[in-house]
Amino acid sequence: MELTYGQVLALLGAALAVLLPGIGSAKGVGIVGESAAGVVTEDPGKFGQTLILQAIPGTQGIYGLLTGFVIMQRIGILGGRLLPLNLHQGLLILAAALPIAFVGLLSAIAQGRAAAAGVGIIAKRPEELAKGITYAAMVETYAVLALLASILMLFGIKL
Amino acid sequence: MAIVNMKKMHLLGLKNEQDKILSTIQKTGAVEVIDITQQVPEHEVQQIQIHQGLEKELSELDSKLSKLKFGIDFLKPYVMEKNPLLYGRPAVQKEQLDEMLSREDQYFTTLQAISGLEQRLSHLKGEESKINNRIELLSSWENLDIPLEQLGHTEKTEFLPIVVPIKAFEDFKNRLKDRQLSAEVMTIGGNRDETFGLLIYYRAQKSELQDIMKEFSVSVQEFSGLKGTPREIIARDKERLSGIEAERQGIKREAQALADQRFFFEVLYDYWSVVRDKKQNMLKMVGTRDTFLLTAWVPEPLEDKLKQRILDTTDAVYIEFSPPEEGEEIPVMLENPRLVQPFELITELYSLPDPKGLDPNLYMAPFYFIFFGMMVSDAGYGLVLSLLTGLALWKLKLAGQGKKLVELLFLGGISTFIWGAIFGGWFGDLIKLKPLWINPLDNPMAILVLSFAFGVIQIYAGLLLSAYKNIRAGRTADAFMDQGLWIVFLSGLIMLAFPQLGFIAKYVAFAGALGLLLTQGRAQKSIVMKFLSGLLSLYGVTGYLSDVLSYSRLLALGLATGVIAVVINTMARLVGVNAIGVIIMIIIMIGGHIFNIAINTLGAYVHSSRLQYIEFFSKFYDSGGRAFDPMKVKTTYVDFENL
Repeated sequence: MELTYGQVLALLGAALAVLLPGIGSAKGVGIVGESAAGVVTEDPGKFGQTLILQAIPGTQGIYGLLTGFVIMQRIGILGGRLLPLNLHQGLLILAAALPIAFVGLLSAIAQGRAAAAGVGIIAKRPEELAKGITYAAMVETYAVLALLASILMLFGIKL
Repeated sequence: MAIVNMKKMHLLGLKNEQDKILSTIQKTGAVEVIDITQQVPEHEVQQIQIHQGLEKELSELDSKLSKLKFGIDFLKPYVMEKNPLLYGRPAVQKEQLDEMLSREDQYFTTLQAISGLEQRLSHLKGEESKINNRIELLSSWENLDIPLEQLGHTEKTEFLPIVVPIKAFEDFKNRLKDRQLSAEVMTIGGNRDETFGLLIYYRAQKSELQDIMKEFSVSVQEFSGLKGTPREIIARDKERLSGIEAERQGIKREAQALADQRFFFEVLYDYWSVVRDKKQNMLKMVGTRDTFLLTAWVPEPLEDKLKQRILDTTDAVYIEFSPPEEGEEIPVMLENPRLVQPFELITELYSLPDPKGLDPNLYMAPFYFIFFGMMVSDAGYGLVLSLLTGLALWKLKLAGQGKKLVELLFLGGISTFIWGAIFGGWFGDLIKLKPLWINPLDNPMAILVLSFAFGVIQIYAGLLLSAYKNIRAGRTADAFMDQGLWIVFLSGLIMLAFPQLGFIAKYVAFAGALGLLLTQGRAQKSIVMKFLSGLLSLYGVTGYLSDVLSYSRLLALGLATGVIAVVINTMARLVGVNAIGVIIMIIIMIGGHIFNIAINTLGAYVHSSRLQYIEFFSKFYDSGGRAFDPMKVKTTYVDFENL
């Protein structure tokens, strides 16, 4: 089978969708983990609460994987039969991957910071955890919107 | 079904019955005492004396409690405790308690002994760490076979243990040689950065030698007070360490023998903390030599029962109830149907309603229920979630917010199951059942429209509640202008989306917009400002637009769950080619789906809450209430029966 530029670009889109939000989530989760470790040194009982906050910036990585997976499924790489995509189709898929790729990367880091600040709330007023979570969740909105855009685009592309 | 009305209770009683009356009140758990001492003139001498007496009692109680707490904590490792989550807390009868109280002195003697044990343990710990440090230091000097007390100087020479940076060691030795000093360095040992040695030199050359030592950062090791060669000292120390360990085991055995006393400490601790709570509330009352006055908040439904209980205790009281006065900070207690109670958690975590405002729980609960399920939307996951939380509710003794959370997840599981069946998701595509309505992957646009529709409904509900609040406060005109016109305007805009209504839609939207334009500036003074404010208020439509768009997360999170579940199944099936593969496949599936349930339940909880907080509450909710915090029998370790 002859490979086409379209296939390369589509796979590049899948790679970016997984890669960038993955980096962002790793970084975001790491930031929260650092401050959480500080709080837990003082009071190990707060592990559960901090863990919830640490999980929040992890979702972008999942959204990225999800988008990447949808691309892989659509271009048939999962079934082992890669569709013969032309250049335009490849570019379309690459474009559809961009929203979650970039918004995922940056929002995960920003959300990591917000959640890390939320860890500060837990340190002083553990009963206000919900407010810390809400602040972090505000950031998530944009990742969700980007995911939605990417997914809707992917379902809309005719292959 | 809302915020419970509060009454103010004034109780005038006899001082010698104060304790009895307060115990009765404490058991009802329906009274929050108000601090009225500030309302009494400061120079009331009697008042001050009464309080000083009370504070002395309180500080004695505190010291008693801290001793008991110490005993409880110290004995913790020696007691096999039944998990109170599984078995509940042990119940204590009045007779048992009385018996323990009569033997209280005995328990405090035991506590004294325990505190002795603790001191011995901490002393041993200190000695142990000192010895360990010494062993660590000396182990690098083990090859020095001169007893340490003999280091130092003779008539002509001096023996010095030195520490040299490893890089400078050779240069240092060479320099000594070059200068032709009568000095010798013997290497004893070293670590990663430093070499340890013994320097022997002719005392007359001391100053010259010291300069060289300074140049190469050579320092002298102090062994003050140590006797014998390092090897001997280490051997002695190790022997002492095993001695310490033996002593420690002995102390632990002694503690083990006392472990059964812990239960008594727990009972006493709980009893005295209940007493302390009572005394602390006495500080909030005022009185004379023979009488006392108590003012407190009481929920209106409990008023009669409370009065009866007090009158059963004594006749010599005067009780009066009055409605709260303007400007008083009334505590908030919520009362909702059983099914809505779990959702109170969401509001409590945000902020309780203002005592004059609305209890949002009843209106919020159905939305939360629907949204939660739609975001997880997998029938299999819903089953797992409901089964697990149902099991927890059945088996575990939960209380308070923990119980509400588990109940909330139980209801969420049911909703998830329903939505999963509607969307045809059973552990992703593991069990292939036809969706009752539609698969979101086939037609995401339909679900997106449904999400927006839910958003519109909830926003309308918010506006209507806000209008209701205005009407209740007698501001019917405001309700019409601020909420009614918006509803007209928004309805018009929505109707524009339907071509068959296009003709009317334009006029409805226009009428609404015109109304808003004319009314929203009514607070302004000049006519120009009125007009401009009205015009500017139309900009609020972007707010409503973004609110509605925010509900797209209902679709996005639902899709996310479904697709991740499919990813897990696909990955698992890839390895399921032979016998071992099938086992790995099952492991991947179980682990993967558990992970997916956990992460999506968290996501659904967070995002459903957010939709309530940001999109719904912002329309009508007045927060900032303070929770009703009654004086009650609050215990940590045991439950008292017929106290």
